[in-house]
Amino acid sequence: MTGPTDFAALLQRLLDVEVEFILVGGLAANVHGSARATFDVDVVYRRTGDNLDRLVRALAPVQPYLRGAPPGLPFVLDAGTLRRGLNFTLTTAIGDIDLLGEVVGGGDYDALLPQSASIEMFGRSCQCVSLPTLIRLKRAAGRPKDLEAIAELEALREEREHD
Amino acid sequence: MAPLPVSLEPDPVIEAYKKDVDRTLLRENLKLSPEARLRKLQDFVAFTAVLRDAGRRSRT
Repeated sequence: MTGPTDFAALLQRLLDVEVEFILVGGLAANVHGSARATFDVDVVYRRTGDNLDRLVRALAPVQPYLRGAPPGLPFVLDAGTLRRGLNFTLTTAIGDIDLLGEVVGGGDYDALLPQSASIEMFGRSCQCVSLPTLIRLKRAAGRPKDLEAIAELEALREEREHD
Repeated sequence: MAPLPVSLEPDPVIEAYKKDVDRTLLRENLKLSPEARLRKLQDFVAFTAVLRDAGRRSRT
């Protein structure tokens, strides 16, 4: 991938084949109103057999490959690969995407689902983690680089409460 | 895997960072729909790619 991530195209691919996923990370923050830039799509995906098949169907046509890995590795994104792993940082022909089986502080898809909301985008419904849970996830990750992002998300929550 | 309990009590470090958050940007974003926020991000990311390419060309 050489160009910028096409967020809409990546999300639409997942929505087209009804992948069960929850938007998290920087893109979820932007959906809630964050003004910080992000350059990839982070999703927590459901690890059922059917959903792994849908995920492969969505992404296989855009040549997913391990982000940052040297070229030429025998990496194939199929249901077996997904089953044997958990979290994948991928690059594709239309941008970068992180497929997360679990997230620190949030657990897996089923644990996170009640902490998410359906958001209308591109004429479709997309599950997006709630703002309080996004703050909780960022805090749980405990990364110094997230401190400014957490501060912004908390300010965002205050602004929404004042509305 | 169950979610870990994480406190949302005020954290002094985060509170210190919060003072520098530009809330005018947040208020503008809150006027937009989620889809419009995503399109705005897309425009910004595309712009940074143009700048990056221009910088790369200027060095060669």
